[in-house]
Amino acid sequence: MSETDFDVVVVGAGPAGSCAALSLAKAGHSVLLVERGPFAGSKNMYGGVVYPRILDALIPNWWEEAPIQRWVTRRQTMVMTPTQSLTIDYRSDTWAKPPYNGATAYRPDFDFWLAGKAEAAGAQLICSTTVTGLLRDGHGRTIGVRTDRPDGDITARLVIACDGVNSFLAKEAGLYRRDVDANSFTLGVKETIALPTDVINERFGVRGREGADIEIIGCTGDVNGGGFIYTNLDTIGVGVVLKLSKLGAQRQRPEEIIANLKAHPSVAPLVEGGEVKEYSAHLIPEAGYDMIPTLAGDGLLIAGDAAGLCLAAGIWLEGVNFALASGMYAGDAAADALRSDDTSAAGLAGYRQRLERTFVLKDHAKLRHIPHLVLGDRLQQEYPQMVANIVERMFRVDNPRPKPGIRRILTQERRHAGIRWRDLAKDTWTAMRGFG
Amino acid sequence: MAATASSSGGHERLRTGARAVRAVIVTCQKWVALGAADADSAGHNAADQRFGGTSAADQAALEWALRLGAARSEAVTVIALGPDEASKALRDAAAAGADRLLRVDSSTSIDSVDVAAAITSALQSLGAADVSFIVCGDYSLDRGSGSVPAFLAAMLGMAMALGAVGIDLADGTDVEVLRRLDGGRRERLRLHDSGVISVEGSTATLRRASLSGVLASKAKQIEMHTPTRSIDHVARATTMSTYRPRARQLAPPVGGNPLARLHALTSATHRSTHGETVVLDPQMAARRIVEALTVWGYLDGESGPAADAPTR
Ligand SMILES: Cc1cc2nc3c(=O)[nH]c(=O)nc-3n(C[C@H](O)[C@H](O)[C@H](O)COP(=O)(O)OP(=O)(O)OC[C@H]3O[C@@H](n4cnc5c(N)ncnc54)[C@H](O)[C@@H]3O)c2cc1C
Repeated sequence: MSETDFDVVVVGAGPAGSCAALSLAKAGHSVLLVERGPFAGSKNMYGGVVYPRILDALIPNWWEEAPIQRWVTRRQTMVMTPTQSLTIDYRSDTWAKPPYNGATAYRPDFDFWLAGKAEAAGAQLICSTTVTGLLRDGHGRTIGVRTDRPDGDITARLVIACDGVNSFLAKEAGLYRRDVDANSFTLGVKETIALPTDVINERFGVRGREGADIEIIGCTGDVNGGGFIYTNLDTIGVGVVLKLSKLGAQRQRPEEIIANLKAHPSVAPLVEGGEVKEYSAHLIPEAGYDMIPTLAGDGLLIAGDAAGLCLAAGIWLEGVNFALASGMYAGDAAADALRSDDTSAAGLAGYRQRLERTFVLKDHAKLRHIPHLVLGDRLQQEYPQMVANIVERMFRVDNPRPKPGIRRILTQERRHAGIRWRDLAKDTWTAMRGFG
Repeated sequence: MAATASSSGGHERLRTGARAVRAVIVTCQKWVALGAADADSAGHNAADQRFGGTSAADQAALEWALRLGAARSEAVTVIALGPDEASKALRDAAAAGADRLLRVDSSTSIDSVDVAAAITSALQSLGAADVSFIVCGDYSLDRGSGSVPAFLAAMLGMAMALGAVGIDLADGTDVEVLRRLDGGRRERLRLHDSGVISVEGSTATLRRASLSGVLASKAKQIEMHTPTRSIDHVARATTMSTYRPRARQLAPPVGGNPLARLHALTSATHRSTHGETVVLDPQMAARRIVEALTVWGYLDGESGPAADAPTR
């Protein structure tokens, strides 16, 4: 084997790539992990919460060493109109103890740590190296990758593309569906705002390493999307996720939408006095199950965002855990295929089977219609106002008038918002099927 | 006009007995941590290896060393002084084509004179009977004073051409160095077969390492050297501060024309009346320069360095 020939080359040292490399290195295979940034995680951003339980299989007691900022003990879902907000607030002591639930972490820390684990297990990592295309034999089978370095071809029995959303490699291999277009993606933008730790603790009602996670709907004006606020030790992440097609049509700037969110009376007291340290943006594959491409080709697997596996279903924005899991299963399936010396698409079928047997495709299949529902006009533009008005009237004390009946309020506010019974029933049914 | 700078045949020219080792080009790289250092559990302040690197000048120096090595068919040795994180700079250099890597174990915050002494002792430990050229960057990522190459030349008794803005390698025997002088002037120095050169970052862009170079660099051996040399005899800085020219009190210019007053105040249109051409040996020349600067008001007689003390 020459020094540029490996069992497997993994493209992209994000969560998916590092887990794939880690699982293969543990199985004793020669693995090269190629990352375009100067170090793993250097080019990566997200909202801020990871759910790393899937790492139990690869890194026992990962919580003892993972570079975690805070453990999420408080989860809030907020429905917002320009002047109102309704919050459901849940807090749990259990989430503050091993094995924990969600955690906030900076990606340049988390991804760097995880890639280090892959290296420690025997994978080779090279950074500042961009993969520019696939190497294929006369039958179209992938036999390696080309990089932007001099003499930069790497041959391998198998390539795993973990190069993130809008994967050029998956596209080049013709694995993406034809109907995937701008409507399948959202743009996520985030400000990282510095505040003293004790100020964050006080404002978000947390202590020590406890953290809060707030998901918001109805905060993005005419551009359909959602918002979030996450706490780190001495910064908070405030961001929005915006439907690309609407953003273009409305000719609005994403930073204006964040500015509006920060100025909202329910958010302003949380961010007041903070200093913006960073502004970042990234695409999100938002269409869920309906955009998932063919997952294997001859000599090629795709995992993580490259395979559209991010789960964006309103109250859940989970991509990292889906990337960790799909990367790990891709690594496991690749190890099986190498063992049986069949890295054709058929020999790699075990990958999809693993995803189907586990939460990765089970959750996606179940929540298949939720992304469309959540980003639809009714849930974005009409329901938040209706819900806020209902709650406002329920809690308003309008003496000497007596309290109105809740059924009457519901009927009046539905009519006032212009929502037809038929649509409400349909949306409720979709939500029940997905979340139920 | 090209002047020839030659080795002073030196008191400390590297000679390690009769053992003849092939000539080597040496380049010195300073790895600088940019991120905040985190104290680890042992209380050691480990610099974050993600945020740090070498200056554009150090990278240009490496490029010139590699070109020189190719032109002269000589091996290129890279020396980095610093903690373990400095190995990153060495591996990057190996990926680009350097042959031998040496790390001098040290803190990066020591005086230039100690850096030069440590490098000199490292060169002796290499067993190199003859170092042909030493190429350094003109500044490090933390700016520095650019004085290490001059100390190296003095300690090794080699000729020097510092602050290069251009280099002509020709066949690698006679290396021509274009230096920037004050007042937009240039000086061209020819180094015959050996010398210490420091280069500005703009002189060359470091080649992109090949893929096999990067892969091979990961397993490349890094030799370690712990400096032993004592350098008690060299004058040391006792205080370090940012240089600020002394303020001079001027009488307010008179006259009705604001522009003329401005000219008078800034001397913008006046030719300098200072300047003289003298031929003196180096010690006398240094003495004369300090005297002249003091008379012209650029040096404060009290806080400035004494005319006969070695200056840094
Ligand atoms: C604003 C926003 C908020 C989000 N919030 C959350 C959240 O709170 N929780 C959550 O779980 N998920 C969240 N996500 C989703 C999550 O970030 C992704 O699902 C996850 O990062 C996918 O991991 P990955 O490894 O597949 O891809 P990535 O993390 O994108 O990693 C891809 C890697 O490949 C490298 N790469 C790309 N192309 C090449 C190439 N040609 N050559 C070499 N290297 C290459 C990249 O530099 C990168 O390191 C959010 C996303 C966004 C944009």
